[in-house]
Amino acid sequence: MCRIGAIKSKNKVHPSLALKLMRSQQEGHDDSGFAFIMQDMGGLFENYKDLPLLSMAATTEGTRITEDILQGLGFSRVMQWSPDINNKKNLKIEAMQNYIFEVVQYPRSYKHATKEEKEELLIDTALKIRTALEKTNSGYIYSFWPDTLTLKEIGSPKDIGTYFNLWEGNKDLVSSIITAQCRQNTNYDIVRYAAHPFFLEGYCGLVNGENTFYEKNKYYQMKLYKGYCGFESDSQCLLYTLHYIHKILKWPLQYFKHVITPLEYDEIIKRKDKDTLLRIKASLANLEINGPNTFLGVTPDKELICVCDSKKLRPVVIGKNDNMVIMTSEVIGINDVMPDRNISDDIYPSENELIIIKDDLSTQRWQQ
Amino acid sequence: MKVCKIKAYSDSERMSTQALFQLIYEKVQEGFCDFEIDACGQHDIACALWAKKKNKKLNFKIKNPGQRVGAMALNNTKIVVEGSATSDVGWLNSGAEIVVLGNAGDTASHCAASGKIYIGGSVGTRSGALMKYDPKFSAPEFWVLKNAGSFSFEFMGGGIGVICGYDCDSLKSVLGNRSCVGMVGGVIYARGNIEGLASCVCIKKLEKEDKDFLLNGLKKFLKEINKEKILKELTQFNDWKKIVPIDSKEKKKNIPVSEFRKNNWFREGIFGDLVDDTADVYALAQSGAARLRKPVWDSKNCVKCDICLNNCPQKAIVKDEKTLSYCAADEKCIGCAICAAVCPKQVWQMKKK
Amino acid sequence: MAAVKINELHKCDLPWIIEYDESKCIQCGKCTAACSFNAIKPAVVERKKSNSIFEKNKCEKVLIIKQNISLDNYCTGCGMCANVCPNDAIKAVRNKDDKYSVAYRAKKADSLKKGGRSNLNTEGRTLDKIKIGRISQMTDPSLDATRHTFEIKTPFGRVLSADKLNFEVKNGKVTPTATLPPNSWIYPVIFGDMSIGAVSWRMWEAMAIATAYLNEVMGIPIRMCTGEGGIPTSLLKSRYVKYMILQIASGHFGWNRIIEAMPDMTDDPAGILIKIGQGAKPGDGGLLMASKVARYVQEIRGVPKADLLSPPTHQGLYSIEESVQKMFLSMNAAFKFRVPVAIKVAASATSVSVYNNLLRDPYNIVGGFFLDGLAGGTGAAHEISLNHTGHPITSKLRDCYLAAVHQGRQGEIPLFAGGGLGQTGSFAADVFKLICLGANGVFCGRTILEIAGCIGNDIGKCNSCNTGKCPAGIATQDKCLVSRLDVDTVAQNLVNYILATDFELKKLMAPVGCSTLPIGRSDALITVDKHISNRLEIQYAC
Repeated sequence: MCRIGAIKSKNKVHPSLALKLMRSQQEGHDDSGFAFIMQDMGGLFENYKDLPLLSMAATTEGTRITEDILQGLGFSRVMQWSPDINNKKNLKIEAMQNYIFEVVQYPRSYKHATKEEKEELLIDTALKIRTALEKTNSGYIYSFWPDTLTLKEIGSPKDIGTYFNLWEGNKDLVSSIITAQCRQNTNYDIVRYAAHPFFLEGYCGLVNGENTFYEKNKYYQMKLYKGYCGFESDSQCLLYTLHYIHKILKWPLQYFKHVITPLEYDEIIKRKDKDTLLRIKASLANLEINGPNTFLGVTPDKELICVCDSKKLRPVVIGKNDNMVIMTSEVIGINDVMPDRNISDDIYPSENELIIIKDDLSTQRWQQ
Repeated sequence: MKVCKIKAYSDSERMSTQALFQLIYEKVQEGFCDFEIDACGQHDIACALWAKKKNKKLNFKIKNPGQRVGAMALNNTKIVVEGSATSDVGWLNSGAEIVVLGNAGDTASHCAASGKIYIGGSVGTRSGALMKYDPKFSAPEFWVLKNAGSFSFEFMGGGIGVICGYDCDSLKSVLGNRSCVGMVGGVIYARGNIEGLASCVCIKKLEKEDKDFLLNGLKKFLKEINKEKILKELTQFNDWKKIVPIDSKEKKKNIPVSEFRKNNWFREGIFGDLVDDTADVYALAQSGAARLRKPVWDSKNCVKCDICLNNCPQKAIVKDEKTLSYCAADEKCIGCAICAAVCPKQVWQMKKK
Repeated sequence: MAAVKINELHKCDLPWIIEYDESKCIQCGKCTAACSFNAIKPAVVERKKSNSIFEKNKCEKVLIIKQNISLDNYCTGCGMCANVCPNDAIKAVRNKDDKYSVAYRAKKADSLKKGGRSNLNTEGRTLDKIKIGRISQMTDPSLDATRHTFEIKTPFGRVLSADKLNFEVKNGKVTPTATLPPNSWIYPVIFGDMSIGAVSWRMWEAMAIATAYLNEVMGIPIRMCTGEGGIPTSLLKSRYVKYMILQIASGHFGWNRIIEAMPDMTDDPAGILIKIGQGAKPGDGGLLMASKVARYVQEIRGVPKADLLSPPTHQGLYSIEESVQKMFLSMNAAFKFRVPVAIKVAASATSVSVYNNLLRDPYNIVGGFFLDGLAGGTGAAHEISLNHTGHPITSKLRDCYLAAVHQGRQGEIPLFAGGGLGQTGSFAADVFKLICLGANGVFCGRTILEIAGCIGNDIGKCNSCNTGKCPAGIATQDKCLVSRLDVDTVAQNLVNYILATDFELKKLMAPVGCSTLPIGRSDALITVDKHISNRLEIQYAC
């Protein structure tokens, strides 16, 4: 099983908090990887929030290929940050040659471009880089989007933390939202792309579970949008569905729940909105999930969401205090990083619930 | 003897479950009976342990245990978890007394077979699933102060679940949705709203012995979770319901289709105005209207030899002694054509009906 | 005794030979009374009393049962004689040296007609070489077929892709703004489509009762397709019509009564099925032999007693565009665009083109695509069509599904597959496998008849639905034979069979971990045949 966590905090926090959150949950996963995405950055990235931030890991050749593509398209580097590597012996990590975190300026021709045009450029560029890296087997691009930083690696989370010097907190690498996962995808090949959290155009998603409708989801999503690619993990499908419902169809988040775990027909026909729900159930039948899944997600509006499968087959708990909300697989992680919260405020989401943590940390519990 | 205190982590380092266990085994062998463990999610703490000296009690006070705290724990083991615990509390409990002061995660008390589990908050989905009762031991008890998540008490086979529904007035169901699916044994007492119960169970009123059991049990339970003050509130027995599986004999059978046709279908059938059908059902070889063919006698060549009459297997052929004519009686003749075959003069003709 | 000549029909030319044991026969006459084909008769023959050469010509006359040697009244192997014989004295035995089909054509200068099934396709069914091989065990849990809930329902009617629903977002809710094509949720098994005329009134009514019972008592939303032979007005005007899919084929039989009943109908029918072709005899029109055109059939259909041949194509439909306009639009219009209109075609090398065209139809008025494979049954057909034309269902269904996937439009026109399902006794497994390959559901005729008491099989037993002499009272309009059929028993058996199938479907859904229909979940299937694996794009296993 994966162990997943999402932190949203009023004060910007360092990834060490995510490591600590996941530490006690270690034996719930197989110690095979660690990945996190930071959104709404502070510290070193505070002043570049509107500019695209590239996160990737690559060989020297991959780095060159990427730079060539960016230059060719007219992007120019504004700032680059490299993690402080602690290369001590016997760390369980399969490190790449280079880890690149680079803020770039949009091409000049985009000076007056709309938000949509810029977004289009970013996704096209990311796909171009991805294809080029894949062809030469020279690296992985994780995200290319403003205010978003992604790090993924194969190995023991503890050692990955040590390698990137993440156990000690600092003020440089901080953000208000951090999503993290322990474990590489071990159902299929060990591929860096298969590690959650997944990211697409401001949406982030991570899943504990097995999407048994993977093939159905995949077949359908492949034709829906160019950004729906890779499919190295069955869990990516849930992120793409969230993106499709919320960004492309522009439906409210609640409908994400209606799509992935539609109510049974007999329940729908008792409801006022039955016409809508039956249509959705039929039209988006290929995006249903039917296995055990807990999904945690982040939207571009900086909201966290949490949804479970219709049989609630995977664990998740939400703890909060005045300054922070944490969603994670097991309560023990929250006990560690938020020991003084009021435990009667903890939320154990049910199978028919969608939990939204708004940007102001208020909680919406929506029943399907 | 003194209390054995163990801290199972520091910074990035965390003791593995196995390492923690080996330490606990060692200490038990040294004769320790009282443990205080500051855990970091280690699994199965207090699983299947017994004191070095027989009949001595093992006591565990645990902070932040991982999954399955108290799993397969034995009689003479007492576990107190400060705060909340994650999934599978008291899995296959085999006699221990397990107290969780906070909430418990999913599948608490799963397969518990005896002993007592006390939860001072809520429990997650599928809690109480497959609890069982072996008459050689005392029935397992599972006490929860607040509510249970959905699919609670799935496939329950025995034992007692008590869901107190404290501070749960806003919930649609203190047992979650779709509780008791496949439940075949045991009993659940629940206080507060209940909705979405599986069809294999029924709600009954509390009898005197139920109330006595609850009163005594609640006293002990509330003491364990430090909530003795609310005893009065919880002992308003009108708020309680008792849930037991339906006796399989009571399960209703579907009405036969023939009944449905009689009561709900068209009186004359949908072809009533189109076909003249008596609705009789014929056997494969039957007399009367059911016959596919019918023998017809013609006097012209008949020599009155009676061969037909003698050979008719149904004794259907009747001879009129006055007119010396023959005929096949409709109520007996099945149309087998033996009369026609045996007649030396081909007097009988088979006519298609 | 007449001289026997070589060019006469002999017993050994017939497909079945009656094996008769004189010593066991008690001459009760039941076998001859029961034989609807008039293939056996009592006869008096001479027997020599003794074999001694010293006793000259001492013969006696005895009564025995004899087989008729005739091209018209011949034994079809239906077995009724053996069923009624109290003493096991008689039975029909398959004749390996049968020359009936040669003799028939040689004597009659006419094509041979059959009913029921094709007799050449029983070897190596594709569906039997597929297993459900993806079992949930560790990564995801399997379910409990007896105790968990399952939703066994599928959409019927045109499904629009989400971006074409034109939903309006208002106050955090989405709501439809435009009229959308009719769409309902039905059980993935459809009874039918067998017409009044092809089957007896009792058989048809039993199906209708079972359908109503399953819907109203069991809550299983099964639908029955009427076939094209009209529908009793009483049923049309009742609420039960909502469980009926009305069929229109090239003969348009019975439709004037349907149209006339419209003003008095309180409920809409479940759907309309335009029959273009039939899997058992693709490219051939409907055929109802005169022997089955009973008076009431003449009435509903508006025809005299004669062989009723429907043209192979709908007159006036010579392209898909015209079909869409004339048939689909008219049928939609007739029922005020409230009823899904689907099409049934015979599986053929061209099915994918048809499906692609319909998927791209800009008016979104095609509500279902029914594909009928060559192993399907028929009330009557020329044997040459039955045995030699058609296309197996499995790969064609898969082709259509994958064609939709290729366009990103899977599920938009629900696919229903039929033709030989349950042929080897595993109906629920066939349904499940076809659903995994992309079907939304199936339709079945033959299995229903077998549940009702049909004794035919795929290797030439009976299959005489065309003769009107059906010994089970199913495919006949002969009152004596129809009266053999007990409506209540047949309806009860149908209900029971569907309940058993429903449970068996759950027994397959549960280990795969699905609580809803696994439409298109071909990852759940494996095959031990490399060719099937390649062709259907499912995992090869050995």
